[in-house]
Amino acid sequence: MSNDNSGWYNPISRSLLPLVCGLVSIALFIGVWEGIGANPENPIVQVLPPPSKFLPVLLESNFRIGLGSQSATIYESVFITLFRVILGMTIAFLGSVTFGLLISLSQWSELFILPILGLVAPIAPIAWIPLALVIFGVSNLTAIFIVFMGVFFTLTIATVAEIKKIPLNFLITAENLGADNFARWRFVIIPAVLPGVFTLLRLNFIAAWMAVLAAEMTGLRDGLGTVVMTGRNLFNSNLILLGISIIGITGFAVDRLLLLIQKKFFWWKV
Amino acid sequence: MRSHSSNLCKNHLRPILTCRDVKKVFHTNNKNVFTALSGINLSVVDGDFITILGRSGGGKSTLLKLLGGITPPSSGEVLFHGVPLQGITPKIGMVFQENTLYPWLTVEQNISFGFKVRGKRKCSSNPQVQEVIKQVGLSQSRELYPHQLSGGMKQRVSIARSLAVQPDVLLLDEPFSALDVQLRRRLQKFLLNIWQGTGSTMVLVTHDVEEAILLGQKLIVIGGQPGGIIERLNISDSAFKDRYNKKFLDLQQHLERIVGEEYEIAKESCGIAYMSV
Repeated sequence: MSNDNSGWYNPISRSLLPLVCGLVSIALFIGVWEGIGANPENPIVQVLPPPSKFLPVLLESNFRIGLGSQSATIYESVFITLFRVILGMTIAFLGSVTFGLLISLSQWSELFILPILGLVAPIAPIAWIPLALVIFGVSNLTAIFIVFMGVFFTLTIATVAEIKKIPLNFLITAENLGADNFARWRFVIIPAVLPGVFTLLRLNFIAAWMAVLAAEMTGLRDGLGTVVMTGRNLFNSNLILLGISIIGITGFAVDRLLLLIQKKFFWWKV
Repeated sequence: MRSHSSNLCKNHLRPILTCRDVKKVFHTNNKNVFTALSGINLSVVDGDFITILGRSGGGKSTLLKLLGGITPPSSGEVLFHGVPLQGITPKIGMVFQENTLYPWLTVEQNISFGFKVRGKRKCSSNPQVQEVIKQVGLSQSRELYPHQLSGGMKQRVSIARSLAVQPDVLLLDEPFSALDVQLRRRLQKFLLNIWQGTGSTMVLVTHDVEEAILLGQKLIVIGGQPGGIIERLNISDSAFKDRYNKKFLDLQQHLERIVGEEYEIAKESCGIAYMSV
């Protein structure tokens, strides 16, 4: 929604100030890094080469990481990791909202199912990696499964909690205006819970992101995690740092994207 | 919309809502039984504007919930067009104190909600919706979301939304008590205009004596422990609609005393009387 507190603040300076400060601070950080890295004698450069050393490879058109048929460009790696996280989170989001709604249909299902979810939810997504590899082998399914497991249970519990938080008058009013059970679900309960559940999805993105990278470092053979591990296996600090930076930038971009989706589609408070 | 006079002719004496010896009992958590209302007899006739006055926690909101089908009576019956009421129905509209507008819908979408949920397409172009929007003076704000509205506007939208589905009777539970005095007066006028203009039937619950006299054609005072009807007044005389008229002032004084005494009685009896249900 648009910001409608007009008045004393100058909205331009208010929105620009953090951006300018952020850019200056990042520029300073990189500047110091480059300054230290300019001296090749410095042993730190061996482990932490500055961006001017590891970033230019992005411009090389035939830059590939990996061996033979398994090699991939860095863009393919970014794509494959993003694909896994976003697909896993989408399935988990839709699944948990649906499952949460179904659970809250009956008091008994709440009483019996919620304890199980409460027990499974705290399992760190990373802990599912070995099991997923055994079941699905080295494939996209493994990664998607891990993301799903990392997000699904928490979001289902959140959906049930959000449904309980809906003001009773919302439901009475809907019935009073002629909504049958199905219409109440569709037009009141679902829109009322979506913003809260989506906020939690956004907060859980980091967990899902970590889980996929860990899976790519340990079991899978492609994606951003694999780029970093290949760098380690080849004692190539440039490749390690390239992977790390791209993980950081991509993660930041996805977080902003989720924030944008929230502001555009799930902005209301119940 | 229906016209006021033709309505009066059509169903002059057949009541829309009737309470027959209604009693409502609540079971409190420490196994006590609390009788909120007892021996309520009441009928709402087409075209009525009934105000129900009483102290906070005195059972007047409970009475409105019984009339709206939100909760069933413990004994006795609530009849709607002569048939026992079977729960909430679009034919009995309700407006609550806190706004119940859906924050994800615009003013117009909120008002046409009753058409959308019944699967009527093109609800925004529905002439009924457009007429109600015009009637309540919200044409300028139809694209706004509830969080962009003032408290008074929100209540106007709530009332409009209930009117749009054309209920036989509209129940209002302290609709203006969250508003400041000036705004409350404006909305009281607004409500009276709607009532006169559409010929709707209204029942309004309030703890504000002035509001009860100014709005109602009939006034009912709920009091006692358990709550019952302690006074019934016909106040359709225009003398009661003038804040400075002696008749108005005398009645106001009389009712203020009754309600004040009610609070004293409530204070003396056990604390449970204050429990609002």
